[in-house]
Amino acid sequence: MGFSEFLNSRRDAAKELVTLLKKHFDYVSVLGVDVKAKSIQVNRNTSHISAGRDTECGFVVKMSNGSVFFEYSLDDIAGDLPVLAEKITGAFNLNPALQGNTIGTVRLSDEPLVRSFARPHDLAEYSEQQLLDFCKEQCAALLGKSEYLLNALVGLNIMEVSKLFVSENRELDQNYSWVNGIMVAIYRENDKVVQVHDGANYHLVGKVLEELPTLCDGLLHKAHMLTLAKPIVPGVYDVITDPSITGLIAHEAFGHGVEMDQFVKDRALAKEYVGKYVASPICNMRDGAAAALSAASYFFDDDGVLAGDTQIIKDGILLTGISDLASATQLGTTPTGNGRRESSRRKAYSRMTNTFFEPGTDKLEDMIASVKHGYMLFETSNGMEDPKNWAIQCVAQYGIEIVDGKLTENYVSPVVMSGYVPDLLKSISMVSDGFKVIGAGMCGKGYKEWVRVSDGGPALKVKVKLG
Amino acid sequence: MKTVIELLKANPKVSGYKINIHNKESYELFFVKGKLETVRCTDTCDKEVTVYADHGEYKGDAQFFVYPSTTAEQLSQLIAEAVDKALLIENQGYTLPGGETGEFTVESNFSDYAPADLAAIIAKAVFDANEVEHASLNSVEVFLNKHTETVLNSRGLNKTQVRYDAMVEAIPTYNGEKQSVELYEQYNFASLDLDALRREIAEKMEQVKARYEAVKPGFPMDCVCVLNKQELGELFGNIARNLNYSTVYAHSNLFQKGEAIQKAPAGDLIGITMTGEVKGSVRSAKFDSDGMSLGSIRLVEGGKAVNYYGANRYGQYLGEAPTGSLPCMLVDAGTAGMPEGAYLEVVSMSGLQVDFYNDYIGGEVRLAYYHDGTKTTPVTGISISGKLRDVLEHIRLSAQTTVYGGYSGPEKAILSHMKIF
Repeated sequence: MGFSEFLNSRRDAAKELVTLLKKHFDYVSVLGVDVKAKSIQVNRNTSHISAGRDTECGFVVKMSNGSVFFEYSLDDIAGDLPVLAEKITGAFNLNPALQGNTIGTVRLSDEPLVRSFARPHDLAEYSEQQLLDFCKEQCAALLGKSEYLLNALVGLNIMEVSKLFVSENRELDQNYSWVNGIMVAIYRENDKVVQVHDGANYHLVGKVLEELPTLCDGLLHKAHMLTLAKPIVPGVYDVITDPSITGLIAHEAFGHGVEMDQFVKDRALAKEYVGKYVASPICNMRDGAAAALSAASYFFDDDGVLAGDTQIIKDGILLTGISDLASATQLGTTPTGNGRRESSRRKAYSRMTNTFFEPGTDKLEDMIASVKHGYMLFETSNGMEDPKNWAIQCVAQYGIEIVDGKLTENYVSPVVMSGYVPDLLKSISMVSDGFKVIGAGMCGKGYKEWVRVSDGGPALKVKVKLG
Repeated sequence: MKTVIELLKANPKVSGYKINIHNKESYELFFVKGKLETVRCTDTCDKEVTVYADHGEYKGDAQFFVYPSTTAEQLSQLIAEAVDKALLIENQGYTLPGGETGEFTVESNFSDYAPADLAAIIAKAVFDANEVEHASLNSVEVFLNKHTETVLNSRGLNKTQVRYDAMVEAIPTYNGEKQSVELYEQYNFASLDLDALRREIAEKMEQVKARYEAVKPGFPMDCVCVLNKQELGELFGNIARNLNYSTVYAHSNLFQKGEAIQKAPAGDLIGITMTGEVKGSVRSAKFDSDGMSLGSIRLVEGGKAVNYYGANRYGQYLGEAPTGSLPCMLVDAGTAGMPEGAYLEVVSMSGLQVDFYNDYIGGEVRLAYYHDGTKTTPVTGISISGKLRDVLEHIRLSAQTTVYGGYSGPEKAILSHMKIF
């Protein structure tokens, strides 16, 4: 294992293709992607080893003529390169109705840089037999723990990413891994069926295999309590968020709104709030592939820009957003290394990576003790952004009622948080000194363009509408 | 693929195989504030090989991808590795579908146009549809796709289908003296109908103006809610997913065949049919990824689950006749018109949450029209929630039907027992 031999074999072709296309375009880059993924899953009845959903191998050629961007996605760049260059050029003969109606002058930067990056991993140390046996053992162990389990699933999703970026002045390659382990229980008790999950996510298989078995008892306790869960009475409450829900707020409530391609489109209210208070003064938020080691940690983005660590909110004030190369160029700012594609077959947009609130100084127990009546919310279910109007919807899997400063045994599920982003962020009154980033997320832009992300942070105390 | 098949046949440990080939050609336009920002083309082909190995009472399978660069030597190695993996898998046996061959095309008029011209026609229609003063489209993305899909297997199945689809993602925006507002629009279609496209976009432009004018209601609203096609697709899709063979086999289904979904119906009785094709739906297909021909099956009749449906393998596991993975859902129309008296018509939500496990339906409403019986007021900043089973028992479905993604059915539904807050 290590950097893709296939991409290495296409390195010279990529350089030659750039040279050929430069005769027609101001800017040309070639991104080669080779992701080797596998999914191993075992449940009560079946098991499988398959190519994981992240598996892909292909190229995308990005060009600009100074007034519009062009991208061509294809499987391979081998063979007769002058013919390929001609084919690519010919594909972009614009319909006359579109000529002259372009965004105008854009000059993508192409600063010289040649580097190779690799993050050591342990994927080669585990055979498929070992991984399958692990899943079988854990599934059997989980099933043996409770008569109420209808089914259980244990899975490992493993990916090794290699990317090659070549432009006239840049030649970059990177190799890294990510592993998601998941445990799911389908559980019937108290005349109710619930489905609960937990996971372990690291860049090393060994750490995932170490952590997953420790999750069984907590998973079953959660399943039991959720069979007793009641619907929440809608209203505005004092709420303590666990790191997953903190991350959901960071991601949905604010993160999407500072993706700077939205600034270019006048789609983000945040554009008008740079330098202003958008959150409580005890609130600090960051994003970056280099800001944490998690699911969205890479060395350079899909535009060939080095990974960043961007302070988005400092002491409650919005400092900046996050950008891909094209949006930064149009805005006259420096790209932050957030240009990401769902795959080599999709467009690059400004996308979040590892997004989180920074820890504070409060103790979690003091935060809970400060709530007369409210809820502590756990586990992200889903969320939806509204960058222009700052409406939010964040759904937690469950909440536990807090009465007179103490967590009770009263579970509520599901819990939908909604409201207005500044109201929520300015209501942050306590920030715990704990910190966790959870690397199991997938993020869409609108309802498409899915990429792996992580989010998290400390526990927050907020006031928000729950329903 | 000839080499792959020869190598598969030559390996005595291979008891069966399936090959899926998906060629995708796309043409895509991206506009920022009415100006062309990016043009994209894709020309890609995925070739996925599934190797089956029968061992003892078990059947195992494993997959690998074949790339243009894959050599014959590498193929032999990939097949051997796949066999080794398949032999680790101890699943119940099943039979691959066999025999059928043919070439099919899902109905579409996209092939009448060159992709670059069709994309330009669609983009022009989208922008021309905006006749609302102070409204604009800050972002428009046009995707045109042609899919050529082939499935062949070791039992002589060999089928190819051509499908087309298009997607427009548009962000209608309204600019006035107050803070400007936007809505999200995703419109999918498999055949060009410019009038329908213009109507869809024009309606969204009117809605974004309404969002600009919308206010958070300063009074409690205790009335029925009207949901539209997008939310109805989500609601009924949840019922259908519960009746899929794979869900049933995993014991994660909440409804059994013969069980009433509406236990004490007091509204329209729900009827759902799963089918392969619906005219105009981008999900329409002649066969699924196993090559199973797609027909129709009645899933819910009179509010009661009457059948399961799903792919070949899990159908056989359950002792049921495999229907194939039916991609389209037909929901019976009702008889309801718009409610009399006060009602809240939900136009845009952050996302309807439908949770049968917790008996919950609800979500945040970005735009709704509140009709008090005499006048209509656009409202925002509210949420709705209710007990899902109560809501289903009292649901009223419109006589007017529509197609949205894989959903074909009532355009609107009236939901009572919802809390608006």
